[in-house]
Amino acid sequence: MAIERLKTGNPNVDEVLHGGFPINTINVVMGAPGTGKTILAEQLVFANATAEAPMLYLTTLSEPLDKFIQHGQSYEFFDSSKVGETVFYEDLGMMVRERGISALAEIVTELLTERKPRLIVIDSFKALNELIETPQDRRTILFDLASVLTAYNCTAFLVGEYSGEMMTDLPEFAIADSIILLMKQSTGVREQRFLRVEKLRGSASVPGMHAFNISEEGIELFPRLLTPEISQLYTSEPERVNTGVAGLDDMVEQGFWRGSTTLVAGPTGSGKTIMGLHFIREGVVNNEPGVYLGFQENPVQLSRVMSHFDWEPKEPVKNEAFELMYRSPVEMQLDSVAAELFRRVREGRVKRVVVDAIGDLKKSSADPQRFSDYMYALTQWFATENVTCLLLYELHHLFESPQISDEEISNMSDNIILLSFSRSEEMTRKIRIIKTRGSGHDHREHTLDITSSGVKVKKFS
Amino acid sequence: MSSPLRSSSADNPAGRALILVVERNPAVQRLERFFLEQAGYSVEFASDGVTALARAQELCPKIVVTEILVPRLDGLSLCRKLKSDPRTKSIIVLVFSHLHAEDRALEAGADAFIVKPIDEDHLIDIVSKLLEISSEGAGG
Repeated sequence: MAIERLKTGNPNVDEVLHGGFPINTINVVMGAPGTGKTILAEQLVFANATAEAPMLYLTTLSEPLDKFIQHGQSYEFFDSSKVGETVFYEDLGMMVRERGISALAEIVTELLTERKPRLIVIDSFKALNELIETPQDRRTILFDLASVLTAYNCTAFLVGEYSGEMMTDLPEFAIADSIILLMKQSTGVREQRFLRVEKLRGSASVPGMHAFNISEEGIELFPRLLTPEISQLYTSEPERVNTGVAGLDDMVEQGFWRGSTTLVAGPTGSGKTIMGLHFIREGVVNNEPGVYLGFQENPVQLSRVMSHFDWEPKEPVKNEAFELMYRSPVEMQLDSVAAELFRRVREGRVKRVVVDAIGDLKKSSADPQRFSDYMYALTQWFATENVTCLLLYELHHLFESPQISDEEISNMSDNIILLSFSRSEEMTRKIRIIKTRGSGHDHREHTLDITSSGVKVKKFS
Repeated sequence: MSSPLRSSSADNPAGRALILVVERNPAVQRLERFFLEQAGYSVEFASDGVTALARAQELCPKIVVTEILVPRLDGLSLCRKLKSDPRTKSIIVLVFSHLHAEDRALEAGADAFIVKPIDEDHLIDIVSKLLEISSEGAGG
């Protein structure tokens, strides 16, 4: 039988939870102060509050109730017209101070019978826990509370500033059907928030750490990209894709396979960006929508590059089949960018993608292994969706590079093109295809000219 | 600042206008007491809506200053009850809350709404204006 679930008010969190929290469960939301626990809980409450299903939010001794209200109202999901109608805030901390912590289950029972909520949040539960003097009392009080919450038709959330080691010591983790951990990670001056499902009884969830931001809309989560299950599908469309670079398609049997990923590696000024623009422009001409994900040149700078060429349409960037996703590399977050790109791919809106450049994406990732996993999953999704992709990669050596890119990126690419300069006085641009998967190719090095029509491979006979 | 009005029914023996404050938080109660008493008013408190209703019927204060988020009977429901009861409908109700709910407060029959945190000058100014208006109305 399908589990009935409670939506979180955030479709991406629901995706991670495979549809939401199972109803009539006890759930723990844990994390250090400032990680977004209360926002997650309040978003959940306001998303589900109706006259038939009222919500009860119990504040305790971590912050005064007035603080919750004051802060909560800065978020768009906080509908103040629901407060007192379908969302009820109560100061449980005050009641416990008056009647003692041993009366906790009794007080909660009174509130449940009075408000008849379908969802109850106790925030912070850890603050209440600290009032309990002995482990024995803690067990007894928690058992009584869990009995009430289980007996009554409601879904409960215990929110607290718990750390990882408390999970083995405190009884609320034993009674919890799910445990959601929110955390912050710092890399240099950058800070990123992550959500992880530590436990979800009776249901699968998307494993791993999912990055999220907090905005006026609440929590904006980017589910970790997983590799599609049937990745070998990417060879199923036996069709070649023209790059738009004169002479290049001839070097690989009339173009790369549709759904393939091509790494274009070269030093600065070697023609990578122009090659990427050719690729997207060729898509515009052939009615294959494309996304150019760029981190260095902003739209004005890219338009300037394109205006030098006698291309038609003159400004493909204004064509609806050409979407420029410009992101400043400063404060960029790998997950949000990748998630946005992935969303477009999954919606079937794009056929071609250029990432300019991979190094910028990598710099924004705190964990190299995670970056590698993410890129692998992304390229596999491109393949299964028959999206053809160019990954541009900047080499730091002008003439000869000891290595093309990180091993993982090279391995996950179907094709590799190396751009370089000759050591001659003219510093002629050179192009060589290093690898193609499932295709023959011209192994020789050729000259890459930049003309009024863009870049052009000048083959010697 | 306007002087507190005097009234036979709602003033204490010292002749100071009586204000009933409905507030669950003792710390906030202390602040409100300080500012209102300093301004010359007499102050009584209730920590929940049900007690406040009973106290209002018993004391007939000039003004009820109520937070919305109070236990047992919220401030808006308290306001509706006060305004629908002939014995208490003439009591001025000032809703004073962290919740931005001015429209709902006025719909519930409140005479005024102000948002927290406490700005003592603003609070005293509104209270004295409400008393002035009430006095003019009573004077015909």
